[in-house]
Amino acid sequence: MGPLIPNGIIPIEWDSIIAILIGIAFGFILESSGFSSSRKLAGVFYGYDFAVLKVFFTAGIVALIGIYYMDYLGFLDVAQLYVHPTYLWGAIIGGVIMGVGFVAGGFCPGTSLCAVAIGKIDAIIYVLGIMIGVFIFSEFYPLFDELYTGSFLGNITLVDSLGVSPYWLIFIFAIIAIIAFVVADFVGKKIKKVFY
Amino acid sequence: MINRNLVKVLSFRYPIIAAIFLILAGGLVLLPKYEKQKGIAPQELLNKSTSPERYISTDQLADIIINQDPSYIFVDVRDEESFNKYTLPNAVNIPLKQLFDEDLVMYLNQDQFDVVLFSNDNFYADQAWILCNRLKYKNLHVLKGGLNEWYNTIINPPFPNENMPAQDFELFSARKAASMYFGVAYPEQAKKEVKAPIKTAPKKIVPVKKKKKMPVEGGC
Amino acid sequence: MKELEKTKRLSIAAVISILVVLIGLLTFKRPKIVYNVNAATTIEKITNPDYLISLNNINNPDYILIDVRNKFEFDRGHLENAINIDASEILEDENLKIFNELKKDNKTVLLYGKNPNEAIPPYMLLYQLGFDNLKILTVENSYQQNKLVTKNIEIEKSVADINAFIQESIKKAEVQPKPQPKVVSTPKKIVPVKKKKKMPVEGGC
Repeated sequence: MGPLIPNGIIPIEWDSIIAILIGIAFGFILESSGFSSSRKLAGVFYGYDFAVLKVFFTAGIVALIGIYYMDYLGFLDVAQLYVHPTYLWGAIIGGVIMGVGFVAGGFCPGTSLCAVAIGKIDAIIYVLGIMIGVFIFSEFYPLFDELYTGSFLGNITLVDSLGVSPYWLIFIFAIIAIIAFVVADFVGKKIKKVFY
Repeated sequence: MINRNLVKVLSFRYPIIAAIFLILAGGLVLLPKYEKQKGIAPQELLNKSTSPERYISTDQLADIIINQDPSYIFVDVRDEESFNKYTLPNAVNIPLKQLFDEDLVMYLNQDQFDVVLFSNDNFYADQAWILCNRLKYKNLHVLKGGLNEWYNTIINPPFPNENMPAQDFELFSARKAASMYFGVAYPEQAKKEVKAPIKTAPKKIVPVKKKKKMPVEGGC
Repeated sequence: MKELEKTKRLSIAAVISILVVLIGLLTFKRPKIVYNVNAATTIEKITNPDYLISLNNINNPDYILIDVRNKFEFDRGHLENAINIDASEILEDENLKIFNELKKDNKTVLLYGKNPNEAIPPYMLLYQLGFDNLKILTVENSYQQNKLVTKNIEIEKSVADINAFIQESIKKAEVQPKPQPKVVSTPKKIVPVKKKKKMPVEGGC
């Protein structure tokens, strides 16, 4: 069966409609998990709330295990899935910038839009900031071009670059996730509760 | 108001979920592995390969070459030795053994050109065609009868008998003209110039784009 | 127990996810006929002439002849002790059962058709499904006065040296050496296939 759209089970014209539906579901789940609160999001950096870590790591592991089971059973062909290309230095620097923005503003781009939807003023300012950033980036693109398209490594995955069996990698990741949750709980108990 | 037993069970919810994860992930490691087989459904492949749709006749092929149709690539699946001896104008040599060599397969795995596979007969070409079709390569054709048929009909067309219909004579003169194009000389046309085939521009092959994939939105 | 106040939401989510898994499992159908040999191995097999056999060597009790022509042709004439399985019906259950049994009994199956080319599709299909006890009989069948005539032929034999023929014809025509229409094989420019499509994507959430 494979991925539904590339294999023509769902016609390609539907992809924007499906994108909207998935987007609505994603926004709903972000909001109902409380991720439209900047305090909750920033909590993971200050150590009083690890909901972000737990939710996203769990989601990642569930998806990972699910996809590989589906691949094993023949529902899905992992080889046909899109792999995001890696631009090493661009990713590192972009990641640092985003991390700083995350701690300082208490939102990441997706949750900021979620928070705008429920009318948070800080989120509106945050989104304006994003827009200004986008504007600066596009206006000065020639300056960043080398960084943006340089150190291109192709559509690689950890499985390709480490050369290990994906199944072992998943197993190791599951263990890492569980350890991370235990540690997060432990740290969360030590830190003074902040009420928000 | 809240069931006490439920509360008791749910207080262990995190260890339970962690255990489920570990069991599922461990299961992936322990499951017996099997080699994944790529390709279209065997039934479909059989239907395609028993139908004569893939064949292209030598007359059609001569027409294509003489008209210098730029949308065709000719692929010779014989070995290199026979390829050097004689092949069709502008043919590419992909010996059957190296069919899936990385730098040769791009002639086959593309959707821009029509590819005509040929060999001496159509035995090897058919085999190559079936394998390529299993892997969903598109626009592939096979020269019916291969180069032997090419020799018998185009290069050395049989002179029709007197009691054959007029069409056969027309066909013969068309084939004769074609054979002159491919370099065969006839005594009566000694004076005539044989036009050398004009060099066709090298074709640029754009490989098949992998079907569109949804750009992923990374979660945060 | 803050989560328990949201039991409704939790149970709805749980029911939906279980439903999705159930629907997935119920619609799951493993295709009945699957390949067992990949394309690269098949290439190796078919470039080694082991799988071809000529008419002289078929007198072996372990050899079973299978005629892949249609029933009409088969009835007109066929080799002795041959079984008729039309090439286009080779994947039908009962026919696959025959092949399975022959494989279990360690028999070698010889496929033949009007000519060797006709035996290729069934051979290739069955080989890729994992039947490695097949051979193609390199014979050509024709009729002479309604009697089947079976001839050995050589696979992919070149009937004539075309270049030599062209040279010969030029010599015969006594044409002055003129621009010999050379076979121009221009190396074509190719853009290598990228394994995965690169697409500028906006990441981040």
